[in-house]
Amino acid sequence: MELGWKKGAAAPQGQNPRQIPIKGPKPSKKKMKRKKKKRDTEELKKEVVMDDHKLTLEELSTKYSVNLTTGHSHQRAKEILIRDGPNTLTPPPTTPEWVKFCKQLFGGFSLLLWTGAILCFVAYGIQIYFNEEPAKDNLYLSIVLTVVVVITSCFSYYQEAKSSKIMESFKNMVPQQALVIREGEKLQINVQDVVLGDLVEIKGGDRIPADLRLISARGCKVDNSSLTGESEPQSRSTDFTHENPLETRNICFFSTNCVEGTARGIVIATGDSTVMGRIASLTSGLEVGQTPIAAEIEHFIRLITVVAVFLGVTFFVLSLLLGYGWLEAIIFLIGIIVANVPEGLLATVTVCLTLTAKRMAKKNCLVKNLEAVETLGSTSTICSDKTGTLTQNRMIVAHMWFDETVYEVDTSEEQTGKTFANNSDTWFILAQIAGLCNRADFKPNQETLPIAKRATTGDASESALLKFIEQSYSSVAEMRKKNPKVAEIPFNSTNKYQMSIHFREDSSQTHVLMMKGAPERILEFCSTFLLHGQEYSMDNELKEDFQNAYLELGGLGERVLGFCFLNLPSSFSKGFPFNTDEINFPMDNLCFVGLISMIDPPRTTVPDAVNKCRSAGIKVIMVTGDHPITAEAIAKRVGIISENTETAEEVAARLRIPVSKVNPRDAKAIVVHGSQLKDLHSEQLDQILRNHTEIVFARTSPQQKLIIVEGCQRLGAIVAVTGDGVNDSPALKKADIGIAMGISGSDVSKQAADMILLDDNFASIVTGVEEGRLIFDNLKKSIMYTLTSNIPEITPFLVFIILGIPLPLGTITILCIDLGTDMVPAISLAYESAESDIMKRRPRNPKMDKLVNRRLISMAYGQIGMIQAVAGFFTYFVIMAENGFRPIDLLGIRLYWEDKFLNDLEDSYGQQWTYEQRKVVEFTCQTAFFVTIVLVQWADLIVSKTRRNSVFQQGMRNKILIFGILEETFLAAFLSYTPGMDVALRMYPLKISWWFCALPYSILIFVYDEIRKLLIRQRPGGWVERETYY
Amino acid sequence: MTKNEKKSLNQFLAEWKLFIYNPTTGEFLGRTAKSWGLILLFYLVFYGFLAALFSFTMWVMLQTLNDEVPKYRDQIPSPGLMVFPKPVTALEYTFHMSDPTSYAGYIADLKKFLKPYTLEEQKNLTACPDGALFEQKGPVYVACQFPLLLLQACSGMSDPDFGYSKGKPCILVKMNRIIGLKPEGVPRIDCVLKNEDQTNITTYPYNGIIDLKYFPYYGKKLHVGYLQPLVAVQVTLAPNSAEKEVTVECKIDGSPNLKSQDDRDKFLGRVVFKITAHA
Repeated sequence: MELGWKKGAAAPQGQNPRQIPIKGPKPSKKKMKRKKKKRDTEELKKEVVMDDHKLTLEELSTKYSVNLTTGHSHQRAKEILIRDGPNTLTPPPTTPEWVKFCKQLFGGFSLLLWTGAILCFVAYGIQIYFNEEPAKDNLYLSIVLTVVVVITSCFSYYQEAKSSKIMESFKNMVPQQALVIREGEKLQINVQDVVLGDLVEIKGGDRIPADLRLISARGCKVDNSSLTGESEPQSRSTDFTHENPLETRNICFFSTNCVEGTARGIVIATGDSTVMGRIASLTSGLEVGQTPIAAEIEHFIRLITVVAVFLGVTFFVLSLLLGYGWLEAIIFLIGIIVANVPEGLLATVTVCLTLTAKRMAKKNCLVKNLEAVETLGSTSTICSDKTGTLTQNRMIVAHMWFDETVYEVDTSEEQTGKTFANNSDTWFILAQIAGLCNRADFKPNQETLPIAKRATTGDASESALLKFIEQSYSSVAEMRKKNPKVAEIPFNSTNKYQMSIHFREDSSQTHVLMMKGAPERILEFCSTFLLHGQEYSMDNELKEDFQNAYLELGGLGERVLGFCFLNLPSSFSKGFPFNTDEINFPMDNLCFVGLISMIDPPRTTVPDAVNKCRSAGIKVIMVTGDHPITAEAIAKRVGIISENTETAEEVAARLRIPVSKVNPRDAKAIVVHGSQLKDLHSEQLDQILRNHTEIVFARTSPQQKLIIVEGCQRLGAIVAVTGDGVNDSPALKKADIGIAMGISGSDVSKQAADMILLDDNFASIVTGVEEGRLIFDNLKKSIMYTLTSNIPEITPFLVFIILGIPLPLGTITILCIDLGTDMVPAISLAYESAESDIMKRRPRNPKMDKLVNRRLISMAYGQIGMIQAVAGFFTYFVIMAENGFRPIDLLGIRLYWEDKFLNDLEDSYGQQWTYEQRKVVEFTCQTAFFVTIVLVQWADLIVSKTRRNSVFQQGMRNKILIFGILEETFLAAFLSYTPGMDVALRMYPLKISWWFCALPYSILIFVYDEIRKLLIRQRPGGWVERETYY
Repeated sequence: MTKNEKKSLNQFLAEWKLFIYNPTTGEFLGRTAKSWGLILLFYLVFYGFLAALFSFTMWVMLQTLNDEVPKYRDQIPSPGLMVFPKPVTALEYTFHMSDPTSYAGYIADLKKFLKPYTLEEQKNLTACPDGALFEQKGPVYVACQFPLLLLQACSGMSDPDFGYSKGKPCILVKMNRIIGLKPEGVPRIDCVLKNEDQTNITTYPYNGIIDLKYFPYYGKKLHVGYLQPLVAVQVTLAPNSAEKEVTVECKIDGSPNLKSQDDRDKFLGRVVFKITAHA
C-alpha cells in the first residue's frame, strides 16, 4: 500500500512565488534544470498576461504578420508549425505502473519490514557461516516478512489501481477538426496543425481550437465553465470590454465550447501556451506534500525504531556482560530488533483503510488514494467551489415580483408538484410572456421524466423559465402552438432585451408583442403597468417599488429579468409582414408586467452540511469564479457566512461609517474579489485567512485558487478543495485532499483529485470527514491492540538470554500471533463505532495529536503488554513444573537443554529426558504461551475498544469484534489440537487446565484499564490522562 | 504542509541538546524532575504489584504440586537410552591406545560414575529377588543392589583402564529413569555394529539383560540411593590395524512396552555412537 509514501516529493515552496532564483557560481547542469523547472511553475502561477484583446485589428495583423481576410500562406503556416510545434497539450507525465508498484513495495511501512527481513537474513547468514546446522528460524522469519510485504503491496496496489483508472483527460479536450482560412480558402484541418496567427471560424457546437481573438462575431456565445466556473454561457463579440483577458468579450479560449452563433478569430496562442494549456502544465507540474497519515506512519516507524534499537542495544551489552560470545550477542541484537517489527500491522492498516474506503464509496465518496481516506478526517479547512458543489448547477426561478408583491418559489431539488400557484391575471400574462418570448425548448422523447430533470436546448435562464412555466402554469408547447411566433428579435448584449410577436386567433387584437430583458431596459419601454390584471399608467410610486424590488432580488444574487407586452392594434392583421430589421410596428408604450428572478439554488443538504462542518471545527471557505454578489448570496444561504456575522461593508452600512474605519474584529466575514487578491502579498493573504472565520473568494482565477490553498497550508491547515472544472485542478492537486465532482466534474479535475464525490453533493464530504476521523481513532485502537502483544513476544527471548531458561516462545508461534490470531481482531476495531460525537470536536492538530504517541507506547509496552508477558510466563512455568521441571531448576539450564547429545537430562524429580522429549515439552510450553497471549488479547481487545469510555458505556455491539474473539480462539485451538501440527508447526495439544492460567491476568487487564479510564473521565486533564490517554 | 527544511547539523544538535536538558523548563529528556519522579514511581508501584501478583500465582501453583511425583508423566512414556562416559562433542569416542592421556578423561568419568556402585556404597541397599518387578508401598522405599561385578571386564576392578589401553574400550549404556515405569517382558540391551563384522562386541551382564527388580523407580525424593541398572558394552577392535572406526547401535529389546523406534527421537530406546581408536 502506499502508506508512508509521499504523494510526491515535498515541494520546495518558496515564500515569495515571484522570486527569481539567484544564480550561483557555476551551478551544475542538474541544479540548473531543477531551478528552471521551479521557476516555470512559479511563472505559471502568475496571472495570464496578455494584451491581444486590447489591440486593434491592424495591430493584430502586424503582430502576427497575417492578412485578416486571407490568412496565412500554406508555406508560412508550415514554418510556424515547425517553430511552435503542434497545437496540443503536453500530456502530464504519467508514472509507469511498475514504479507505482515499487512505491507500494518499498514505501514507508514496508521499508520497516524489509529492514527486518534483511536483518534476519544477515543473522541467518552469520549462523550458517559459523555453525553447520543452524536453526532455520531466522531464515523462515525473513521469508515470511518478505511474503507479507509483497502480498500487502499487491493488495493495496490492486485496490488503488481499481479506484484510480487512468483517465485520458487533457487529450479528450482537444477538438478534432478546425476550420481555418489560409490563402483565402476555408480549410478543414486537424486541430494540432493550427498555428499562431491562423484565422479560425467557429460555430455553435464547436470546441474552440486555440485561444482566439475575435475579429467578427454573430450572436456568438461560449461556455467557459470549464475554465472559469461560470455556469452561464458568455456572449462574445469583437469589443474589448475588460482589462482582464479572462473577462473581456473578444477572446475565446482553447477547448471551451461555442454554444451558439458564429465567429471568426485570429489564433493568439496554441498548445501549452494557451490559458488552458498553462493550467494543465501548472497542474501536472505541481508537487504535493505527504498525506497526513503517511506523516503519522513515518512518526510511528521512528518511535518503533527507537524502541527496537534501544532494547536491542541494551540486551546486546547485557548479553556480552553475561558472557555470551560476540557472535551470539549480535544474533540476539538482530533478533530483538526484528521482534519489535509488528509483522501484521501493515496488513491491518491497509485492510482498515480499504474497509473505510469501501464504506465511503457506498456513501458516494470514491477514494482514489487509500491514504486519502484519513486525510478528510484531519481536514481543518475546506475550500469549496460554488457552482455544482454547493449549488445545484442549474438556473431555476426563485422569485417573482408582480402586483407589487414579491413571491417566493420553491427551489428545493425535488420539485414535483406545482411550485407556484396564484390566481392573479397578472400572473397568467407573466407566465404567457415567459413561455412564449422564450427560445428554449425541451429536447424530444423525455415525457416520462419529471420536468425539472428534462434536458433543454437554449441558455440556462430561458430553460429555467421554460421549466418553471411548464410546471406551474401549463404546457408551453401547447401555448406556442396556439400562439405561433411571427417575428422575433433575439437577445443580444447591446439591446439587452428579447422581443417576439405572436399571433392570437381568439382575440380581436390578433397580434401581441412580448418582451423580456434587463429590467431597467424593459421599464424604459413601458408607459403603463399591470396590477391584478388591470392596466394603470406608470407613476413614480411604481417606479420606486420597481427599484426596490429589483435591488432586493439583485441583492439576493439572483439574475432578474423584466417582462412587458403590448397588444398590437388590429390593423396588424393576420399575415402582416413584420420586419425586425427595419421595424414596422410599434415598440413603445408597452405594459410592464413584472420581474422574474432566477438563481442557481443551493442544494438542500448543503446548509446542514456546512453547519456540521462548522461544529466539527472545520472552516469552510468559498472559492468561486462567480460574481461577488451571487457568491455572497449563496454563501449566506448555505451558511458559509452565518446569520450573525457581517462583512466589513455591512458593519459600515449599519454604523454609517466608512469601510476603512470598521474595526476588523467586528467583521468576521469577508468577501474578497479576485482583483483584490491579485495585489495582495502572501502576508496579507495570511492575515485575511487568519482573521476572518467566514471567507468568500469571488472572481478567482485558477492560479489564485492555488494561492489560496497554499496560504491555508502555510497557516498549518490541512486543506480539502472541492471543484469540478479544469480551473480547479491546480488547487485540487495542491490540496491535501482534492475532491472532484463525479457527475459534473471534468476528467481533468477527477484526475487531479484524490477523492471523487459520486453524487456531487457537498454533504457527502461531511460523511467523509466523519469516516476519516473515525478511522483515525480506530487505527489508534488497532495499533494499540497490535503493539501490545509485542511485549509478550519479545520478553521470552530476553528472559531466555538473561536467565538461561528454555525458550518460552518461538518464532513460529510469534508469527502465528502476528499474522494469525491478531489479524481479525485488529481489523475488527475498524468497525468500532465512535465513542462520542466525533463531529463535535475540533479537527486534530497534526503537530500534537499523533497516531502513535509516547503514551500509546507506554500503555501498550509498559503496562498492558507487561501484564500479558507475565501471564505468558506464568503459564510457561506451570507447564514446566507440572512436567517435572520446577522453576528453580530451569534457571541456567539453557546450555544443557539445547545440547542435542545430552539425552539424559535430569529433571527436579530425578527423571531423565532425551533431547526430543524435553523439546516436546518446550514446544508445548510455547503453544501454551501462544494460547495465553490469545487469551489475554481478548481482554486487550475489549479494553482497546474505547480510549475514554467504559466498555459498559460503549457496549459490545461490534459483531465483527465478537467474531474476531471467537475466530482467534478457534484458530488457537485449531493450531494446538489438529493432528499433524506437531510436525508442521511444532505446536502440541494442551491440557484443558492450561487454558485457564491466563484468566487472572485477563481479568487484571480488564479491571486495570477500566479503572484507568474511570480516572481519565473523572479527572479531565489529570495525571492519568496526561500520562496514559493515547 | 510544506517541509522546507533541511535542518542544519547545528540546529539538529541544538535541538537534541534542548531535548536532553532544557534549562528554561528544567526538563531532562522531555520531562521535569517531578514528572520523572511521578512516572518512575508509578512504574515502580505498577511493576511491584505485578511482581507480587506473579509471585502469588506461582506460589499457588507450586502448592498444587506434589514433591514426590510430577503431576504429568505423559511426556516421557518410554525411556531414552544414553551412553556413558559422554564425549564432549556428539557421541564420538576418540583415543590413542598408546597415549593414556587421550582416554584419561573417559576413565576418570567412568570411575566417578561407578563410585556409587562399589560394594561399600551398596552396603545399605537391599538384595532384591531377581527377575520380577520390585513394587513397594512405602512409606519407606528401598533401593536394590547392583553389584559392580555384573559388569565383569568393564567393572574397572580387573582392568582399571576399562579396556581402553588394549583397544577394547568399555562404554556404559543406561536406560533413562522414569518414575513408575514398569517394563514388560525381559528387557535387554542389544548392541550391534553397523557395517562391520571383524570386530566383536560383548555386553555385560550377559546378553545385556536388565533385571526387572530395578523397576519401578519412585523418584529422587522417595527412592533414596536408587541405582540405575547398567549395561556395559565392550568393543574389541581388531588389534592389527593402525586406525579403527566403528559405529555401534544399542537398542532396548525384549520388552513390548519400551519403544526403540521413533522417527524423530533418535535416542528413544536406542543410542548410536562411534568409536575411533588410534594405535
